[in-house]
Amino acid sequence: MRRFVVNVNGNRYEVDVEEVGAFAQAAPAVNAASFPAAAPKTAEPPVVSAAPASARQDEPAPASQAAHSGAKGAFQITAPMPGTILDIRVNVGDFVTKGTVIAILEAMKMENEILAPQDAIIASINVSRNQQVNSGDIIITYN
Amino acid sequence: MTTRDKIDDLRRRRERVLQGGGEARIEKQHQAGKHTARERLGLLLDEGSFVEIDAFVETRGTDFGMQEKKIAGDGVVTGYGTVDGRLVFVSSQDFTVIGGSLGEMHAKKITKAMDMAMKMGAPFISINDSGGARIEEGIDALGGFGEIFRRNTLASGVIPQISVIMGPCAGGAVYSPAITDFVFMVEKTSHMFITGPSVIKAVTGEDVTFEALGGAGAHSTVSGVAHFASPDEEACFNKIKKLLSFLPDNNLSDPEIILSGDDVNRMDEELNGIIPDDPNKPYDMLSIITSVVDNGDFLQVHEGFARNIIVGFGRIGGRTVGIVANQPRILAGVLDVDASDKAARFVRFCDAFNIPLVTFTDVPGYLPGVQQEHSGIIRHGAKLLYAISEATVPKINVIIRKAYGGAYIAMNSKHLGADMVLAWPTAEIAVMGPDGAANIIFKREIANAEDPISFRKEKIQEYRDKFSNPYIAAARGYVDDVIEPAETRQRIAGALDMLSGKRETRPPKKHGNIPV
Repeated sequence: MRRFVVNVNGNRYEVDVEEVGAFAQAAPAVNAASFPAAAPKTAEPPVVSAAPASARQDEPAPASQAAHSGAKGAFQITAPMPGTILDIRVNVGDFVTKGTVIAILEAMKMENEILAPQDAIIASINVSRNQQVNSGDIIITYN
Repeated sequence: MTTRDKIDDLRRRRERVLQGGGEARIEKQHQAGKHTARERLGLLLDEGSFVEIDAFVETRGTDFGMQEKKIAGDGVVTGYGTVDGRLVFVSSQDFTVIGGSLGEMHAKKITKAMDMAMKMGAPFISINDSGGARIEEGIDALGGFGEIFRRNTLASGVIPQISVIMGPCAGGAVYSPAITDFVFMVEKTSHMFITGPSVIKAVTGEDVTFEALGGAGAHSTVSGVAHFASPDEEACFNKIKKLLSFLPDNNLSDPEIILSGDDVNRMDEELNGIIPDDPNKPYDMLSIITSVVDNGDFLQVHEGFARNIIVGFGRIGGRTVGIVANQPRILAGVLDVDASDKAARFVRFCDAFNIPLVTFTDVPGYLPGVQQEHSGIIRHGAKLLYAISEATVPKINVIIRKAYGGAYIAMNSKHLGADMVLAWPTAEIAVMGPDGAANIIFKREIANAEDPISFRKEKIQEYRDKFSNPYIAAARGYVDDVIEPAETRQRIAGALDMLSGKRETRPPKKHGNIPV
């Protein structure tokens, strides 16, 4: 069981996702306690592409589309220079404080730490491990 | 009128000047989180040291009702005083008087104080809080700006010039700070821009706030216009005093020696363990700098701008040094357009004011990419080479780790005239990194190898073993000595002692032509 925070139209939902096997669409079990009961029915259903980290590791780099997990957040962190994503240190829904290491970008033969510019809740992860990125590419989005 | 009456009259006139724009406007200034022009001088200068000049100057303007609006002092307070006992000249614009707007006589007051600062060889500090040119005075106001810019330029490299932005500073007014050596801004209350948000909206349709366009945050991180940003005015003045403590009064004097009690022979064993075994792992260059300078006291200039290079002032054995260091934690410590500009300008300041340069090198190269090339990394990168080559102050370089290619040359190498180049045993001084070099040198062999991947790895290792060390450079005398990291402070202090009498001349010329 993994817990995610999904933001839909400005509403914050806590979602429990149970992993039933690689690539299987997980059924979001919405935690009813965290918001008024009627809200989720009218809002767009939370989009969770259900590719938890374990599933992604089985799948090597080519399926970079599968890397996009979570709904787009209000702010984004972009790659400061061209390079390769070596590691992603956060999950969708994580609350991170300013200065937390978000990801490791290898560029210019250096493992550069990509840090959180402010306290943030990770809304989406837009890259996968070993993916090549260009400067300006979105690494994660957050709220 | 009796003599007594005349003295009373003087007192009344003086009292009138001290009131500035009056109670209501002063109250408004305070509500905005700002101090008045005179309160600011009180915060900056030693208590009771301020001597005002030109208190009775007033506008000569007669158009558009200027005669009714005029107040003695004309919206700026000028004079001199001391900071930690050292003479400085100041101007402080008074936003409560005609919006601090710059008219003909207002400008004349400022230029008089600047002329005095030049004659006396003392720093000039200009506090800006002004609505801009006084439109009522037309071309006379505009001319006033020009007079100030010209003096800023003539004083550049003769006396340290500091601009303090504590309110609006817009249009032509921005160019005086831009020419001066250091620009200080205060968060939320100060703004600088050529054209404001409303003009931008009308011309390009872009929506932008004052703060996002030209606030302290934007200018201290994105544009690099501001060297220092402070949360409030008190913090800002404290930082100015701190900066002044590192600087000489003028280009013919040396910075004051302030002994700290920190032993120059202090060893720091921690430095022996600071470099990760894996050359791809970053570390914090700041911890090396703070270990080397007296009591870890280091004042960063441009702390938030182009953070892949660190510049700032510290002391070693009581002597001011200007430090330039690559920061491997940010953008791998590459040299890019902004980093080159930042470092080059700092190096030129140090050279102009007799401040020895100490550089710490860990640079993988210039940043590759179309964006950098089209931004003119050739032109901007050249500034750093030029500034280092041109500098005649003592130049000491410590190569910590990577020193590759053209960036190795730019970072105060022997070839550009460094007086003392020391290298840590972790230094890798080569034309390029092992991976790239092996790919080029053994291109054909790798292509023809039975197992190209392992063959390539082998060759990379071969190159690394052979060239990724300081001893090839040391064998040719490009590195004067290879030292243990722990003894870095002692070795730099020793070199500074040896170099204290350095004299180096350049061919006589009007001036060089740095690729600006």
